[in-house]
This record gives sequence, C-alpha cells and structure tokens, in this order.
Amino acid sequence: MNSSNMTRYSMPAKQRTILLSGMALGLISLVITWFGDDAHHTRFWTNFLHNSVFFTGISFMAVFFYSVCNTAWAGWHIQFKRIWESMSMFLIVGAVLIGILTLTTVFDLNHLYHWADSHSVHEDKILEHKSSFLNNGWFIVSFLVILVWFYFAFKIRSNSIEEDERHDKEYKIHFKNRWWTATFLPIAGFTSCLVIWQWVMSLDAHWYSTMFAWYSLASLFVSMIALTILILIYLKSNGYYPNISLEHFHDLGKFMFAFSIFWTYLWFSQYMLIWYANVGEETIYFKTRQDDYPVLFYANLVINFLLPFFILMRNDTKRKYGTLIFVGLVVIFGHWLDFFLMIKPGALHTAHELAGHHGDAHGAADHGHDMVAHASEAGHHAAAHASTFEAGFTLPGFLEIFTAIGFLCGFLYFFYTVFSKSNLVAKNDPYLTESLHHHV
Amino acid sequence: MGQYNKDIVFGLYNDETELMHAIKEANKDHLDIYDVYTPFPVHGLDPLLGLEESRLHIAGFIYGAIGTLTAFLGMTWIFTKDWPIVFGGKPHWSVPAFIPITFELTVLFAAIGMVVSFYTVCGLGPGVENPILDKRITDDKFCLAFDTHHVSVEQAEKFLKTTGAAEIHNKTI
Repeated sequence: MNSSNMTRYSMPAKQRTILLSGMALGLISLVITWFGDDAHHTRFWTNFLHNSVFFTGISFMAVFFYSVCNTAWAGWHIQFKRIWESMSMFLIVGAVLIGILTLTTVFDLNHLYHWADSHSVHEDKILEHKSSFLNNGWFIVSFLVILVWFYFAFKIRSNSIEEDERHDKEYKIHFKNRWWTATFLPIAGFTSCLVIWQWVMSLDAHWYSTMFAWYSLASLFVSMIALTILILIYLKSNGYYPNISLEHFHDLGKFMFAFSIFWTYLWFSQYMLIWYANVGEETIYFKTRQDDYPVLFYANLVINFLLPFFILMRNDTKRKYGTLIFVGLVVIFGHWLDFFLMIKPGALHTAHELAGHHGDAHGAADHGHDMVAHASEAGHHAAAHASTFEAGFTLPGFLEIFTAIGFLCGFLYFFYTVFSKSNLVAKNDPYLTESLHHHV
Repeated sequence: MGQYNKDIVFGLYNDETELMHAIKEANKDHLDIYDVYTPFPVHGLDPLLGLEESRLHIAGFIYGAIGTLTAFLGMTWIFTKDWPIVFGGKPHWSVPAFIPITFELTVLFAAIGMVVSFYTVCGLGPGVENPILDKRITDDKFCLAFDTHHVSVEQAEKFLKTTGAAEIHNKTI
C-alpha cells in the first residue's frame, strides 16, 4: 500500500462480513430472547437496556475524554483523535436505542422500572416520594440529553474536519473547537449523572447512592480506553498510523490502569459506606448481590481490579501489545459484567413485584401465577426462585453474550463506517507535532 | 566525606540538543563519559548513556506488600485475638473496615521505604555534603564530565571544544 492510500481507512470486505454476521447473531439472539421470555419480556428488555446503555456510554465517554484533552491543551492524542471523534458519532444510534427504551417505558410496554408502574407507586411511600424525579417526564429529558450530547459531538467533529480542509494560520477553528469542548464538560458532568440515575440506578427504585454516577461512569471510561487500545492495535497491525508509537500505548495503558483503580476506589467507597451504615433500604442492594450473585459479585472485583492492577503495574506491560490486548479484552468484558450486575437483580425484583400486583391482568396466566407464588414467598431471593429465566439473570447466558457481541459488532461497524469518512490524522491540528514527538 | 579524589574535566553546554549531540559523538569515539548533569530531565538521555532501568520500583512494591500485610494481619490479630470489640454489631473480623487502613499503610510503607532506599543508594541525606562541579548545572547549563583516569585531559578538552561546549573547566572532587 502506498502512502496516499493510507490517509483514510477503508473497511476490508472480510471485516465487513464479520461485523455484519456478528450483528445478525445479536439480532437473532434478541429475537430468541423475546420469544423464550416471561410475560413481561424482562430478559429481553434488560439485555436491550444493558447493551444500549453500555455502548451509548462508551461513545459518550469518547467525546467526554476528547473534550477533557482538548480543554487541557493536551497534544499526545492528536494523531488518533479521529478515533474518539468517530466513536462519539455512535451517540446517534444510542439515541435511537434509548429512544425505543423511552417510548416503551412512557407507554408502559416494557415494565422494566418499578417506578413506572402507577399501581406500585400509589401503594409505596418511597416511590411516591421519589415520583417528582422518577417519572416519565424526566425519563424523556434523559433521552433528550443524548441528542444534546450528539449535537456537541457532531459540532466538535465537523470543526475538526473543517480544520483539515483549510489551513488557517490564526487557528480560528481550533479556538472555536476549544469553546465547544469546554462548554461540553460541565454539561456532560451534570447530565451524565441524570441519565445514569434514570436508566440504571432507578431499576432498584427504592435504593439510591450518591456515588453511583461516578462509579458507573468510571466503568464506562475504562471500557472506552480499552476499546481505543484494541482498535488502535488493530489499525496499526494493518499498517495504519505508522507514527503512533509505544509511547502512545504506554499513556493509554496508564489510563486503563489508573482508572481501573479509580473504579475500584468508587466501587469500594459505595460498598463500604452502605455496609457500615447498614440502613435497610440501602443494604438490600448489596445483600441481594452478595447472596444471590456471589460469583459475579466477587468476579467483578477480580476481573476489574486485581487483573488490570497486577498485570499493568509494571512499566513494560503497558508497552507490549500482548498484555494490552489481554487486559483490554478482560476489562471490557468485566465492565460489561459490572453493568449486568447493576441491571439484572433490580429488574428481576421488579418483575416479581409486578407479577404480584398484576397477576393475570397481563394475559400471561401461566407465568403470572408462577411468579405470584414466587413473589409472595420472598421477592428478594431472586436467584433461588427465578426458575423461569435463571440463565439470563444470575449469570449471563449464551443469549446475553451473543446479544452483547451483536451490539459490539454494530458499534464497530458504525464506528469504522464513520471513521473511513475522514482523514486518519488531523493534519492541520496545531498540536499534531507534539503528538508525533510524544515521549513518556 | 564528599571527596572522591577524582580529577574531572567538564564542559558546559548552553542547550540540551548540543549536549545530546556531544553524547552521541562521545559514544561514537568510545570516550568513557564520567557523568552528565542537566537542570531538568532530558528525554532520551538514559538510553544514550546506556543507563539501566531503576530497580527502585521493585523495592517499592516489596515495601508496599509489607505494609499491606502489616496492616491487615495486625488488625486481624488485634480485633480477633488481642482485644475483640463489637463495633455497631459488625463481626470482629470485618474485612471492609480494614481496607482503608490497609491501603494507607501500603502507601506509607512504600513511600517511606522508597525515600530511605533512594537516599541510601544515592548517598544523600541530612549532613551529607556532595561535591558539585558547577552551581549553574541546576540553573541553565548542561554539563558533560570526563574522568581524567579514563580519558586524557587533552583528549577531553579537544572533544569538548569541537562539540561546542561554551565553557571548559577542570576540577578535583
């Protein structure tokens, strides 16, 4: 390949086939999940929510970290900043996915959220008290937030591409983009808490934690960095980005290492405060997870803390593709599991509660009766009584894994398509030279 | 203390690029460099001088691990064997409550251990006076020094002059 072919990425036919078949696999899994599900399609909707939030969150983190770097006058990442720009474009797909979720929640079609069930809210003091935030109006607001994010991401990317086209000596476009990124940061800071509370934390509607937003966003941040490393290694192995050196990987590896520790710090802070205070409504969250999901609960810490901590601690492991690929794959899977553990127990509990309230009302007599019996025994002991959908709730089954692969392939397909539409390197960025000579 | 009995010929450069160039030339001529002093860390200097990677971080890991064990086993012994007290109805061996202190002691042991090791290995510390070649090497001069036992004075001076050193001095330290 000559150098003129290397200014842009073009997706090889083989890669296209693989990604498209991955997407088909995910779609088939979703369909199978839907038809093998309980009356409320709890497993389908939790899988849908889980992956939508996870990949939308990764694309949000891309534009967020891009904005942080740009605002901080960082230069090391300029060579591959198009990767983050292209990742952030996935927000529009995220808006569609979350849009489906919002519509079905507002029109009472998915039964994911305990607070969305008006019957439960009237009977429940805590839910009634929270209903000024946990309601359809705010849920729609959190959907609109993605559109705002996408608007910023779109502006930032178009400015960056415009900079490629014309060489402005006064760096007008650069300073304009600095305004966009700096404005985005506070907006992103506040709205990301809002949406993660609405989408994920409100699944356990009785429970709340002030650390939750930070903790789950740290999860997404690590996943985003890991995905960036894997994509960069893939591109480099295909001959793109000849000027990206081990120095850049070293810095990305440091981010993956540092934010794995940061994630653990937040995870533990949240856990310890709740454990120590031992307030009933709060403790039940971890009690459920520790007793009914012990494998995932402890595996979460091993995968997301111990492995990256001990593997990436040394200098040289951050400078080797082998260890970076291994840790990258492990932490992406680990943080996906982390979200699994955030979403599934609460949703299952809600399903049991709903079964208790509605019974036959939803026209699924068999499942309904079955679940009334379970719910009346003890709704909290999810794992022991979830006879109808054990695989999808206590541990990710094949359907969860394949759905996730489908979403991942969709994310990558969209990413590479957007990525191939602009130059690989932002050639007129004023900090490009700094990135070319980056040395740790 | 502070006397090495070494006769040093050293040149002061005004710029780190000149210094880097000179080091490359010296490596080419197989001249044995005594040491290089710069007012700030210069990128790429270590591999040029062929310096080994510091082993300080390995020591730091060991000190940290000792701190972890000291804190965790110490608290375990105190709260289960030596003086068990019930705090808020929690079990005596309450691992989550031990974690913050374990973390603090890990950091403390690693930090203090590394500082002491570093000072010991480098011969630094209170009351130690180390000879310096020129005060301006902590300000704006870049120094390349030769030991006259390995490189003759004439050879060193000639080399420093041709590579563009702004000043050339002799000093016994």
